[in-house]
Amino acid sequence: MWLSASSDERRDHFVVIGNPGSRRVELFQAALAELRLPAARVVSYLDLLSGKDALPRSVRDGTVVRIESPGKDFEVERALIAAGAGATDGDERFDRVSRQAAQDLRFERGRILYPRQWYLGYCATLRLIELQLAECPPHRSLPRPHPQWMNSPAEIALMFDKVACHQALRSRGAHVAPGLGAVNSFDELVGRMREQNCHRVFVKLASGSSASGVVAYQTDGRRHQATTTVETARQNGELRLYNSRRIRVYRDRREIAELIDALCRNRVHVEQWLPKAGFANRTFDLRVVVIAGRACHAVARLSRSPMTNLHLLNERGDADAVREKVGRAAWAAAMRNCELAMECFPESLYAGIDLLFTPDFRRQAVIEVNAFGDLLPGVFWQGQETYAAELRAMAGARACQRARDFCKGA
Amino acid sequence: MIYEHIANFAGKPVKDWEAQSGIQDPEGACYALRLSYEEAEEGRRWADKFAAFLDDPSSSQVSGIVIGDWGLLSSAIDETAAPVVEALVAARDRLPKLRAIFFGDIIGEECEISWIRQSDISPLFTAYPQLEHFCVRGGDGLSLGALKHNRLKSLIIQSGGLGVNVVREVVAADLPELEHLELWLGEENYGGDATVTDLAPILDGGLFPKLKYLGLRDSQITDEIARAVAMAPVVERIRVLDLSLGTLTDEGAAALLDSPAIARLEKLDVHHHFCSEEMTTKLQSLGVEVDASEREKPDIYGDEAWRYVAVGE
Repeated sequence: MWLSASSDERRDHFVVIGNPGSRRVELFQAALAELRLPAARVVSYLDLLSGKDALPRSVRDGTVVRIESPGKDFEVERALIAAGAGATDGDERFDRVSRQAAQDLRFERGRILYPRQWYLGYCATLRLIELQLAECPPHRSLPRPHPQWMNSPAEIALMFDKVACHQALRSRGAHVAPGLGAVNSFDELVGRMREQNCHRVFVKLASGSSASGVVAYQTDGRRHQATTTVETARQNGELRLYNSRRIRVYRDRREIAELIDALCRNRVHVEQWLPKAGFANRTFDLRVVVIAGRACHAVARLSRSPMTNLHLLNERGDADAVREKVGRAAWAAAMRNCELAMECFPESLYAGIDLLFTPDFRRQAVIEVNAFGDLLPGVFWQGQETYAAELRAMAGARACQRARDFCKGA
Repeated sequence: MIYEHIANFAGKPVKDWEAQSGIQDPEGACYALRLSYEEAEEGRRWADKFAAFLDDPSSSQVSGIVIGDWGLLSSAIDETAAPVVEALVAARDRLPKLRAIFFGDIIGEECEISWIRQSDISPLFTAYPQLEHFCVRGGDGLSLGALKHNRLKSLIIQSGGLGVNVVREVVAADLPELEHLELWLGEENYGGDATVTDLAPILDGGLFPKLKYLGLRDSQITDEIARAVAMAPVVERIRVLDLSLGTLTDEGAAALLDSPAIARLEKLDVHHHFCSEEMTTKLQSLGVEVDASEREKPDIYGDEAWRYVAVGE
């Protein structure tokens, strides 16, 4: 059944793919309302995955499509893992689960469930979105693919693959923390660290978001220390991993090996743990939202541990005070680095970039590109929060496009 | 954990020494010699940087230096600081004006404080008889030897766990001019095994006739120290008592409040503590300058409350 076009057919029309009722979707609707734009039609991930809904039902000429995070919803997580069951993986060594077993998974707070397969499932979903969009009737007047995306499925997939994303950033010339290449076990990691004379690394789940499955590991040959939010529990002989809000420190080499090995079974990205600069008696990094190629909203994330992610109850620092301390030249270089990083994603209107400064602000490096890293309520740039600024940038781009088309037509 | 390089030392601002900028203010600033991550990546070595510093024509006028990371982030993680001590000792004739040394301004993001491998630093005191200010960070492998020095005014030992051997060397030291003594005692897990009994010679007030500032900081046993120090003769002689960065609770604070000598200090510093709000207010109304900022909450695991020092690891 096709939904009939509503009365505001000729006005701007938005579709958001996300989890209905989620904070992200609500905030986006609020941003639309504030700009006196009609509310977006929400297409839920679950309905897309089950086939209950499809984009051609909602999308028409001129529709702007926004893809939101599928996170924070266990049913969706389970459905994505199930969707990944059939996906082939070039590398078969990672933990997998059958579609049926995925559908039977029970919710356990913080449990890290098959992140590699989740990623494969999410990629399949992004491809499905792309295919469905291709079925939507093309617009006649615009030469560019239409309807318009706020973000592109293929680029979201790239951002969610930390290994590939890191490579893309490097080849673009953005400053990043040096990677140590693929490793499949703790022993391999230790060997690689020895070869490269590196004794501090971050081991991250290749497709994890936020601080999910991140370990800061250091050794001086005789001592070992892993700082992490991951907790382990053994159940029926199986080692289970959980994300917690508490920072834990493991010092037992065997325990650390077990933890890293378990993460490796779900594919990891390893990079040097660059020393971070301090501010206000904390270590810190920046989250910078780049919109339409320009570094806009910035927030400093202060922490007492190597993990700076905001959801770990860390503090937000006053970005202006940080900017002053960093100094004009270093700050400008950092913003340029974020913008350069975003050039890897030409079809994406925005992303949240995490960036660190080394002590004394000598250098900076991009550490993450977060496809959905623009959720920063209360942070303003030129008087607007992130979602509103994105919509404004989008409107600007559309106006330019229309003007160009008009000139061409004339 | 320590997050930032020091901005001031021995009353002077600290500037990083770089070959390009050179030495602009040899008397008014302390110069930091640190191998940054970037320099280490380029394969540069601390010893070469120090040699270049000594070749700077103004280095003979420098009054204070800060020794930063000597390569712990790269190659020297499993080496002790002995070669750095040797380099400083060998440079004694080229740094005739040197009055202040900070040995190990290394932040946690460069190397955990308890992973810094110190060594016997006693040759420094012999090599620099004019030294007035000395600070060292890292207690692992540290030794002061039989310390006798006629000019030293301030001695600061920062650690995440200070071994009783070092505390014994401090109490056996002959430092007639010492005004400022600061020991970061740390946690037992990281080698901080000194007890209040080991500190008794300091508390008895018979040592260091010119002592004005006593810091027994970053301690896991701050309450015990507070109880002992509240009644100790040394408090009658000093102006500042610093029990900050530690684990002070209402129990230790009550002992401090009961002590008439504490109320005659110029300043009591207990910042980073675990006192109740009520007790914090009482401390603040002691009538002397009190820093009771950074009120911390214990970590609760099951039935147990854990109170951590500010700088451990």
